[in-house]
Amino acid sequence: MPLVEIKKLYLLAHNEEREAILELLQRLGSVELVDLQESPEWAEIRVLLEPGQAGGAVSRLEANLGEVRYCLDFLQRYFPIRKNFIQQFTGSRLELTAQEYSDYIASAREIDAVYGACRKAEEDLTRIRNEETRYRSLLAELKPWIGFSLPLEEVIKSNCVSMDLVTIPLESYPALIESLKADAPDFYLEEFSTDKDLAYCLLIYMTDDSAVVSSLFKNAAANPVDFSHLTGTAADATLSVEQRLSALEQERSAVLAKVEALLEQRPLLMACFDYLDNERAKLEAFSNLACTQSSFLLKGWVPLPDLDELEKELRAQAETAVLVIRDPDENEAVPVLMANRGPVAAYEVVTRLYSVPRRDELDPTPFMAPFFFVFFGICMADVGYGIILSLLAFFISRKLKLAGMGKQLVDLLFWGGIASVVFGIVFGGYLGDFFGLAPLWFNPLEDPITMLIFCFSAGLFHIYFGMGIQAYRSIKAGKLLDALLDQGLWLVFLSSLILIALPQFSTPAKWVVIACAVLLVLTQGRKQKGLLKKFFSGLGSLYNITGYLSDVLSYSRLLALSLSTAVIATVINVMGKLMAGSLLGYLFMAIILTGGHFFNMLIGVLGAYVHTSRLQYIEFFGKFFEGGGRPFRPFRLTHKYIDVLKWNRGQ
Amino acid sequence: MEGIVLALLGVALAVGLSGIGSAIGVGLVGESAAGLVTEDPDKFGQTLLLQALPMTQGIYGLLTGLVIMINLGIFTGEVASLTVTEGLSMLMASLPVALVGFLSAIAQGRAAAAGIGLIAKRPEEMGKAITFAVMVETFAVFSVLVSLLLLLFM
Repeated sequence: MPLVEIKKLYLLAHNEEREAILELLQRLGSVELVDLQESPEWAEIRVLLEPGQAGGAVSRLEANLGEVRYCLDFLQRYFPIRKNFIQQFTGSRLELTAQEYSDYIASAREIDAVYGACRKAEEDLTRIRNEETRYRSLLAELKPWIGFSLPLEEVIKSNCVSMDLVTIPLESYPALIESLKADAPDFYLEEFSTDKDLAYCLLIYMTDDSAVVSSLFKNAAANPVDFSHLTGTAADATLSVEQRLSALEQERSAVLAKVEALLEQRPLLMACFDYLDNERAKLEAFSNLACTQSSFLLKGWVPLPDLDELEKELRAQAETAVLVIRDPDENEAVPVLMANRGPVAAYEVVTRLYSVPRRDELDPTPFMAPFFFVFFGICMADVGYGIILSLLAFFISRKLKLAGMGKQLVDLLFWGGIASVVFGIVFGGYLGDFFGLAPLWFNPLEDPITMLIFCFSAGLFHIYFGMGIQAYRSIKAGKLLDALLDQGLWLVFLSSLILIALPQFSTPAKWVVIACAVLLVLTQGRKQKGLLKKFFSGLGSLYNITGYLSDVLSYSRLLALSLSTAVIATVINVMGKLMAGSLLGYLFMAIILTGGHFFNMLIGVLGAYVHTSRLQYIEFFGKFFEGGGRPFRPFRLTHKYIDVLKWNRGQ
Repeated sequence: MEGIVLALLGVALAVGLSGIGSAIGVGLVGESAAGLVTEDPDKFGQTLLLQALPMTQGIYGLLTGLVIMINLGIFTGEVASLTVTEGLSMLMASLPVALVGFLSAIAQGRAAAAGIGLIAKRPEEMGKAITFAVMVETFAVFSVLVSLLLLLFM
């Protein structure tokens, strides 16, 4: 399948029409913009140009966008929109009609109020959290002193007598008492509580001894505690702190209620975010242009099929605009766009996950798609699983409006389900052996060797096909010799190697193999310089045979995966049937069968997808496809939060 | 009857060793994935796919174990009596998947964990991250294939 032809586009128009034209291009989404400042033309045209573009408007938009993003993030933090498992791959967006969307944009002024409210709410929540932390730690500090019945404000230091609430480490406790008795004998010590490290005590001593006592405290690592800011007993203080905490909790839920009331503004925020983001993209696109005082030049890429519509719309929008289209040069970095139709389009995701083709390559998708279908089917090979998978994929694609790679992936699984049904019939897999139906061809469990040979043959065909495509490419590029020697000779060589195994062909095949080997040694080094180098390079090329061998062996994974699906399904059936008998038994049987088969299907799909992809990437693409193209990225409207419906609700 | 003990040892090795390998592999990927999901919770689905990859060795081991158990007739309740040689052959047949499953799951876990780093920076390159991990699994596939063929033809 050839790639979509992409043309180079120059657009020259008046500055007055600049914004309208860019808006049109953004809406159509069919042009990839090229930054003129990084183009070779820049050196020639820069002398004509007006320096300096409207940076102010962009930064103003950025600021607005920042506010909206802040509000959305803030709401998301407290009232998150959860995405389900599938939406994590596909994204989830709010659906709006065009009318609703423009209504929201019109009322964008309300965002300032929402932003203010969010800011205020966040400040309040932070303050409440800080106060709570403070009160909680105070509560913890007060706890050991609950038994102390004197009001805390009466723990004072007078001229004669001083009182201290003090925590003393248990290990230095006896020593401290001894030293107090020796150095400040007039004291009174009462212990209120202890925990595993500390004793919590009241110490009354003569104020004259203050210096001695505080140095003793220091030696014993004892700490006086200061509660002079509290009133009442420790128990009273605890009670009032707890009341404060519950007041804070109420305050918090009041703030959160206000935030929750802001949730109804979320669609507005989402719509405005997408609108502003697209406006910003439009303004930023200005920097790609080259502007004089009254005109501007735009450079870009446009796919040929979209060109007519672009020209028509542009005529309607701006009469004076000049559109110049030309074919791309040989050495220009042209972006690449694949265009596959029908079921094959779903398989584009497989190619894209590997690489986009280069501009001079073929799109491998249509060649790869039938093999992907067949191999996926062989790996699963179960009618039951296929039906479930197809139905699941069908409902997912109906329920979630997917686009791009997400849609392709779901479609791919849908076709995978169909393939699984087909090969389930061929190999007799109906939820394993649950129904005991006979296979159309044979059962791989009973005859694995036939299956292995079948897999190797399919693989060999796959590899030959890949080599054939490479030969076709070489011939098309006028390199007939390359096609004959690099692919043709190998095809004959490999085929006759296989024929040696068959007795009736073994003698002639042997001679063909020897002849091919000699020819390969003589020709494979033809691109090297020097006779010796040519010879050794040719000799070394025979080593490639191990590469082809390992490629073919790699297809044994098809057998392994299909056996694995079938055996696990069989075991689930056996375990389920063991339960049968009583009513409770049938219940257990139903649970085991449903859960087990669903699990087996998921594992099967994962294995089938992953291994089939690998066979395409390594064994098939390796023969003819390089990739490394730059995907076409048009300048278009992007939506992060909303989808604008093309029709009205209820229609 | 000593044969059956050897066959059961085969079941234990196939399921046990490849299970241990898969557990380590899946754990390795999970550690990396948790780090990425802290930064970007929306990548959970993608990382879960990568985390599931080293799980297959455990399943291959289970598969081999189940086939031995079916051969022994454990599910039908009529346990066959085996000679020592027969039991030993079943034990030998379980070794490829036990050994390769054990080590390849760990290696695959490492490759998939590195793939988590890849999709952290370039989420669009997930196909390549998966391919790197799947390359490792080739050898687990070969081993389970040989184990199964040995069992089905004995």
